[in-house]
Amino acid sequence: MEPAEDWLVESLRLYQDFHAFDLSEATRVLEWIGDKGVFVAGYESRKKNEILHLTLPFRLSVKENQGLFPERDFKVRHGGFSDRPVFDLKHVPDTRLLVTSGLPGCYLQVWQVAEDSDVIQAVSTIAVHEKEGHLWPRVAIFSSVAPGILHGVRLSSLKIVDLESQKTMYTSGVSDSDELSSLQVLDAHTFAFCCTSGRLGLLDTRQKWAPSENLSPCPGSGGGRWCAEVGGRGQGPGPHIASLGSDGQLCLLDCRDLSHPVSSVQCAVSTPSPAPELLRVTWAPGLDNCLAVSGFDGTVQVYDVTSWDGMGGQAEPLFTHRGHVFLDGNGIDTAPLVTTHTWHPQKPRTLLSAASDASLHVWDWVDLRASC
Amino acid sequence: MPEIRVTPLGAGQDVGRSCILVSIGGKNVMLDCGMHMGFNDDRRFPDFSYITRNGRLTDFLDCVIISHFHLDHCGALPYFSEMVGYDGPIYMTHPTQAICPILLEDYRKIAVDKKGEANFFTSQMIKDCMKKVVAVHLHQTVQVDDELEIKAYYAGHVLGAAMFQIKVGSESVVYTGDYNMTPDRHLGAAWIDKCRPNLLITESTYATTIRDSKRCRERDFLKKVHETVERGGKVLIPVFALGRAQELCILLETFWERVNLKAPIYFSTGLTEKANHYYKLFITWTNQKIRKTFVQRNMFEFKHIKAFDRAFADNPGPMVVFATPGMLHAGQSLQIFRKWAGNEKNMVIMPGYCVQGTVGHKILSGQRKLEMEGRQVLEVKMQVEYMSFSAHADAKGIMQLVGQAEPESVLLVHGEAKKMEFLKQKIEQEFRVNCYMPANGETVTLPTSPSIPVGISLGLLKREMAQGLLPNAKKPRLLHGTLIMKDSVSSFQLVSSEQALKELGLAEHQLRFTCRVHLHDSRKEQETAARVYSHLKSVLKDHCVQHLPDGSVTVESILIQAAAHSEDPGTKVLLVSWTYQDEELGSYLTSLLKKGLPQAPS
Repeated sequence: MEPAEDWLVESLRLYQDFHAFDLSEATRVLEWIGDKGVFVAGYESRKKNEILHLTLPFRLSVKENQGLFPERDFKVRHGGFSDRPVFDLKHVPDTRLLVTSGLPGCYLQVWQVAEDSDVIQAVSTIAVHEKEGHLWPRVAIFSSVAPGILHGVRLSSLKIVDLESQKTMYTSGVSDSDELSSLQVLDAHTFAFCCTSGRLGLLDTRQKWAPSENLSPCPGSGGGRWCAEVGGRGQGPGPHIASLGSDGQLCLLDCRDLSHPVSSVQCAVSTPSPAPELLRVTWAPGLDNCLAVSGFDGTVQVYDVTSWDGMGGQAEPLFTHRGHVFLDGNGIDTAPLVTTHTWHPQKPRTLLSAASDASLHVWDWVDLRASC
Repeated sequence: MPEIRVTPLGAGQDVGRSCILVSIGGKNVMLDCGMHMGFNDDRRFPDFSYITRNGRLTDFLDCVIISHFHLDHCGALPYFSEMVGYDGPIYMTHPTQAICPILLEDYRKIAVDKKGEANFFTSQMIKDCMKKVVAVHLHQTVQVDDELEIKAYYAGHVLGAAMFQIKVGSESVVYTGDYNMTPDRHLGAAWIDKCRPNLLITESTYATTIRDSKRCRERDFLKKVHETVERGGKVLIPVFALGRAQELCILLETFWERVNLKAPIYFSTGLTEKANHYYKLFITWTNQKIRKTFVQRNMFEFKHIKAFDRAFADNPGPMVVFATPGMLHAGQSLQIFRKWAGNEKNMVIMPGYCVQGTVGHKILSGQRKLEMEGRQVLEVKMQVEYMSFSAHADAKGIMQLVGQAEPESVLLVHGEAKKMEFLKQKIEQEFRVNCYMPANGETVTLPTSPSIPVGISLGLLKREMAQGLLPNAKKPRLLHGTLIMKDSVSSFQLVSSEQALKELGLAEHQLRFTCRVHLHDSRKEQETAARVYSHLKSVLKDHCVQHLPDGSVTVESILIQAAAHSEDPGTKVLLVSWTYQDEELGSYLTSLLKKGLPQAPS
């Protein structure tokens, strides 16, 4: 109990606000719907998993008189049941539809969030013609009047399928069997892919396969598993792609020249990651040059990448969230592992993080440099 | 048809007027009698007309049970018992009995003195109502009458809160009231045994929330206090004498020690006396930690917390003060508030709900200019913080409780059924139970199958066993006996008919049926009888079929004789005769024989 109490006292100084919740099952998914709700979903293989739409406590959305709102709880607004584990969930913007991916990986499930009741109903499936055993397709959504679902297990199986007609609108047309680790839609015609090998590329769907890409991953990486995220375009100058490896290496790249990374650092984490599939790097939507990293242990680290240059140096995080380590209420020996994290779309320093012990934290960290 | 009926009373779907009517085994019980705090007119009371239509409440209701002292569970009790009229027993735990009248009186004062309400219950009515109270201990089975019994279980939540089991014969209902499944600083967690009630009744609001951890709530409180004190401000915390105040004190004391803070913390003495008194009475209700502190030293001998004197309120510099009453409606807390309200460095932390009409309610609604006595206007520049410390269960907690009690069905009150489809499915799937969600005023009827134990006489049992062919699940055997209900209603005996007749002093009569079946057969009677015998022998493999020397055929005790038709030599008449006991087999044989005999091989 002592370390938890100590950490809580420390937290008064480190966090502006902090909420901790216990879900009934752990989630690997945190997907926003608007800025007031998130989806979480279970990933157990032996039982039915719940997909929940949670609304954030009201006080997190009000701008004034926050103190007059005592409600600090999440509300379960909708729920549904999935027979298979959910490893990824994407909301189709401007609709009440969700797409989930899991194992077995031969199809994607489409869900509808009911309007007049609290049910999330399975409505259709999208076939993925790969029998890949333990691999499951990554998903990203092209949002438009006729949404398109980008999915694939390997580069060779990358496709865009029209959600309504299920017609294939685009295929990669290549035979490269590189396994995909992430897909990200950037605008109406462009998307980014990252392979587990570290190979990444940007593609325009209006042209035949001609990605601008790095053909080899960051220097010095001896294998391991990679994931990446492209930051928002209007964020000012500087590199906009962050690529994270399971050995703790973080590379920054510029969209204009993917073959020459701008910088690379070694994150302050214990490596290698015990669960490389859970690696996650995200750019802060509300802060310049800040990104968050998780998947190595029970922490989430925030880095400021301004003035990073050169290769191979050690980087010190601007902030480390240790809540999942200290508030592990079960007292089980194995420390929990952070399964995913996400930034609040509006509040610049607020993040949500989930861990393998089914905990879910909402935290607003203090930038200690600013208080000097 | 045996059934349990449940009706939540009152209009509207919101939480805040708990009052549930349960009919079980012919008994009628009212669970809680709460007030809706948001309304000023009759809508704040449950709709008692639903029950009074049936005549006098005292005759209709067997008892009233109150789960805990919060006004939304007991606020309408004096109105109900003294103004509507009920003279039967009212059950509650000892702490609830002690604290209820204090809260009711406070509430009455605010309603009448502050808001000038006319048709409200009086102090005397509160006293008369409490005279009808029968206090119960935890886990004590209380016989309301010779059929209805109730038992209270620890619910956590607040001092004295209980969950109640209501039992009539083999049927039971558990009502949870408000409870929580995680212990807090001064109360333990709710607990119930695997009592397997037919029905568990609980609030639906819990099932759709995921609760922020207690530690984060405490952290928020400490942060606010710390920030205020750091900038030289004063913190006022209006509290009710019991429960939450002690918890917050322990929290602050620990924090002050750890962070080495110097600002003084005060606790008004009125609070100390009352609290000590109550804690001495109800020490068994708090958790281990508190009990230890109380036993080892007086509850309020803190290192950093001192007794408050009115004069201290004018001292310069930071400080924290706990004072009563909790809603800032009068007394010391209001006095201090008036002194500190004008300074924006100061803060008031309201730890709970405030009734309409109180200063607490006004500032929590955002009002910054208050009209005090003598038309004086008070400008509120101090920071106002509303914190909720009361411990409730949430979605996870409700599943834990259902898992502990193992009810056959679950009933959720205060929710909109349409909006809770997912929740219903979740409970039904996880526990394979039915889940009901009635609206206020709607009655849910649960059919039950109460088990009625019947004793069987040894003589009868032995006789049946001796007939061979033991029964098994796939082939039940028909047993004849007489069911006797003797002495008390609940004792049934199954005895042989002879014994029953003997006890009643009646002679036994035999009833025998005879039926004639016409068969097309021109052979002699003996041959017909032989054909009947071989046919029945092959078809009725499980029965004892015999061909007697006189030509008749017997199947068990049934006799079949073949005779010639008086007029038609081509027809034979089979006389089938059986006793009443073998009615079933007799009819079956008759229809079988009517179908005719298979052709004999030539």
